[in-house]
Amino acid sequence: MAFNILVADDSATMRTVVKKTVEMAGVPVGQFFEATHGKEALEILENNWIDVILSDINMPVMGGMELLQTINQDEDLRLIPLVFITTESSEARMDEARELGVAGYIKKPFQPETIKNVLYEVLEKAFQQRIETTPQPAADHDDDDLDF
Amino acid sequence: MDTQLKQLIEETFGEVFETMFFTFLEPINEMPGPAAFVGEDAYIQADISYHGPSAGRFSVYLPRRLAANITMNFLGVDDDEINPEQVLDTAKETVNMAVGSLLGKIDPAGESKLHIPSASELDRLELAEILEESGVLLFNSDYGPLWVVYEE
Repeated sequence: MAFNILVADDSATMRTVVKKTVEMAGVPVGQFFEATHGKEALEILENNWIDVILSDINMPVMGGMELLQTINQDEDLRLIPLVFITTESSEARMDEARELGVAGYIKKPFQPETIKNVLYEVLEKAFQQRIETTPQPAADHDDDDLDF
Repeated sequence: MDTQLKQLIEETFGEVFETMFFTFLEPINEMPGPAAFVGEDAYIQADISYHGPSAGRFSVYLPRRLAANITMNFLGVDDDEINPEQVLDTAKETVNMAVGSLLGKIDPAGESKLHIPSASELDRLELAEILEESGVLLFNSDYGPLWVVYEE
C-alpha cells in the first residue's frame, strides 16, 4: 500500500529535504504533493486523495495552525492526519497544536528516523480510524438473499 | 551579551549545523579585529526577527562557500546541482531553524512569534559595522568565519 503525501512549507528546499527524508525512511509513497502555504494545501486537498499532511507552522498567506483549524471544520478532511514539521518547539505551541488535534509534531532540526517513526505511527492510527468510521455491511444475511 | 544566552545561541547553531548539514561550527570567544579577515569570500546575509513579550532580530552572515556546502549536504546533491536560489533558501531555513529552536528554549511559554526569514547575497562583508554591534558571535567553520548578530 502506498500513501499520498502532501508537504506544505514555504521553503522549496525544505520540501525537497522532507520528500527525500520520507523516501530514505522507506515509507511507500504513491504521490507527493507540494504546497507553499496553507491555502494552496487546501486547494490540493479539495482535488486529490491525501493520506497524510506534513506541514510547517510559520508560513505566509495561511500558516499551519490555521490550516489545521480549517481542516478540522471539514467533515471529510478532518480524517486526514496532519503532522507539523516545525521550528516552533515551545511546550505552549505544542499544547495549542494538540488541542487543535494535530496528529504528530516533529521539531526541526530532525533526524530521518524521527520522520519515519512519526509517519508510521500516524498512518497506522489513521488507518484504524478510517476502518472504525466506515459503515460495515450487515454480517447476517438470509440465505435466500444470496440466490442469483 | 548575557553569558547564558551566548552559550544557548552557540549550542543551538551548533546543533542545527551538525544535525541538518553535517557541518561543525567552532565558537570563537576572542573577537579579532577586522584586519584578521581581509580578503574573505562573498557572503550571504540571512535575517529573522521575532516579537512578543520580548522582541529581537538575528542576522547571520555565512561565507558563500559555507552556504553552498550546507545546501549540498542538506539536499544530498553535488555542487553542480545547486542553484543560487537554493543556497539563499537554505540560508533562510538555517536562521529559521536555529532561532526557532532557540526561542523554544528561552521562551517556553511560546508567547513570541517568529517572522518569515529573508536572505540576500552580499558582495562584501562590512566587518567594521558588524563588530560595532554589542551582540556579536563568531564561529569558525571549514569554509570561513560565520557571524551571528543579535539585536534585542
